[in-house]
Amino acid sequence: MTFLRDLWRIAKSDKPALIGGVVVLIYLVVAIVGPMVVHIGYQKNSSLAYLPPSLKYPLGTDFLGDSVLSELIVGTRPIMEVGLATAVMVVAVGVTVGLVAGYLGGAVDQIIMRITDVFLTIPGLPLVIVIASIVKTTNPLALAGILSIAGWAGLARAVRSQALSLRTSDFIDAAKVQGLPLRNMVGRQLLPNIGPYVAIHFLLAVTDAIYAEVGLYLLGVAPITGTNWGIMINLAISQGALYTSQSAFYLFSPMLAIVFLQVALVYFSRAMDRLFNPRLRVQ
Amino acid sequence: MVSFLAKRLALAVVTIYIVITLTFFMVRLMPGNAMSYLESQLTAQGGLSTAEIAAKVQEAYGVQASGPLWQQYLAYVGHAFTGNFGTSIINPGQTVLSVIAGALPWTLLVIGLALLISFTIGVVVGTLIAAFPQSALAKIGTGVVSFLAAVPNYIVALVLIYVVADRGHLLPASGPYSLTATPGWNFPFVGSVLQHAILPVLSYVIVAFGSWALTMKGSVSTILGADYVRTGEAWGLSRRRVTQSYIGRNAMLPMVTNLGLSLGYMFGGSVFIETFFVYPGLGYYLIQSVNERDYSVMMGCFILITVAVVVANLIVDLVYPLVDPRIMSPGRARQKGLTVSGLATENQVADPAERSVA
Repeated sequence: MTFLRDLWRIAKSDKPALIGGVVVLIYLVVAIVGPMVVHIGYQKNSSLAYLPPSLKYPLGTDFLGDSVLSELIVGTRPIMEVGLATAVMVVAVGVTVGLVAGYLGGAVDQIIMRITDVFLTIPGLPLVIVIASIVKTTNPLALAGILSIAGWAGLARAVRSQALSLRTSDFIDAAKVQGLPLRNMVGRQLLPNIGPYVAIHFLLAVTDAIYAEVGLYLLGVAPITGTNWGIMINLAISQGALYTSQSAFYLFSPMLAIVFLQVALVYFSRAMDRLFNPRLRVQ
Repeated sequence: MVSFLAKRLALAVVTIYIVITLTFFMVRLMPGNAMSYLESQLTAQGGLSTAEIAAKVQEAYGVQASGPLWQQYLAYVGHAFTGNFGTSIINPGQTVLSVIAGALPWTLLVIGLALLISFTIGVVVGTLIAAFPQSALAKIGTGVVSFLAAVPNYIVALVLIYVVADRGHLLPASGPYSLTATPGWNFPFVGSVLQHAILPVLSYVIVAFGSWALTMKGSVSTILGADYVRTGEAWGLSRRRVTQSYIGRNAMLPMVTNLGLSLGYMFGGSVFIETFFVYPGLGYYLIQSVNERDYSVMMGCFILITVAVVVANLIVDLVYPLVDPRIMSPGRARQKGLTVSGLATENQVADPAERSVA
């Protein structure tokens, strides 16, 4: 409860973060509820194709006569699913690797950090494209696994340098001397200090994952089946939407959906530092 | 200094080696093995003996399809380090090396221009925002800049194609130069190349300058509050001296450390921008070969993109001691100690080995 109260107090003082948080929340609700409420029929009724916006079709229709708004809503879930799953994997791997390297130190740290360096240097997106082109998966978890390959190294480095400085800090020594249980050491001593990093990285990992995922569909590297924003843009372009104005709503609606979500996530991530950093949270 | 560079060089070689190894095993061990795929395709076409098929596969990948895996692996690594990536599977007459060698200059041209422009604009805008934090322009600027930094580059590219090229007919949207120009060092050709590069470069710049400006802003505002700046001012040093040597040089450090990361990001983004602008660089050929299942060209492009990023990182490392002489001085260990104890913020990291934190 105090957490929620703090969240509200911090959000209130930072308008962009508040708006960002609300937008992200709306996307989450749409992703969960949307597919239950809205259905798309793949009408294949050419008389309904490329209708301008109307009350029945607020964003017009696509080349098959389906409502663009409905597709947009149905397409939210696959994007959010993969984005969140990727971020969870990135954070899990990044925090574990970083904490192990930073806390153990020595040769283990050196070896882990050299591996991390290699992963940081290899350009992530081409690597993801090459793997996705060979694996060709439609399973959201498998896709998330591929996308997370590129993301964990940065977080591992950040967590490791935090763990390094924490290891030698006085309050950790004090906690050790008091003989506090491991649960307390990790939960109350270590986590509050790396919490802000992890929270910010989680949100940024979601944006990176969505960027890469939509990109894979745009390029046609991931299989074009089902409905999501990347597939919508891909189909719009292959139907020639770049050369006519009649399908502008079909082309630009998913793009705007992506831009709003990305910007909202970035703005919201700025409030994380103050929320998870105990020193900043206390007024 | 020497050990620092030796370490970076070793990391570069190891990274390239790992990428080559990775590509080898990805092609051979993943489901839908590309070599056996090519073999079965040739068998289905008929008219070729088993030995001929084996020879064709070997030519395409630069290794023998049969034989123990370690032998194939050694042959592949040896070939890759000497620049032999086999021949294209779709166009057997073309070596992979000739495809990627023709593509590299276009990618370097566009990314080089984009980096130069976005870096310069970013430094100027970031400094202005940090220098006048209370002005209305700074507040609007921060909003615009952090908005742009969050927009995916492919969306910027598509909007530019739609608005400027296809609807507005103001600039060409595809190809590296117009067909009427004859390649060479003549005025119409160079002009045509530059004209065709405007939109791809702009797609990078619109997104990238925002993050440069944000980094610069963070860096400058941290340094403005530093004690040594106040000391410099208290000594009565000229304003110019304080801004240039005290603030400017220190504020540039995180910018230089970010160069490496940013380059990796830009080479990654080239797959979108070059594909949408039909610009024949590495990213374009990577996606072409992925969609045509031309695995040997795909691997060649991927390896070369990685090599380009690794070399660019190495150049940044070589330049870094010029920007920050502390890295060569014996007091470096002390400096590093200071960094760890928290004097350096997330944006202001003195050691390039720590650059990825930002």
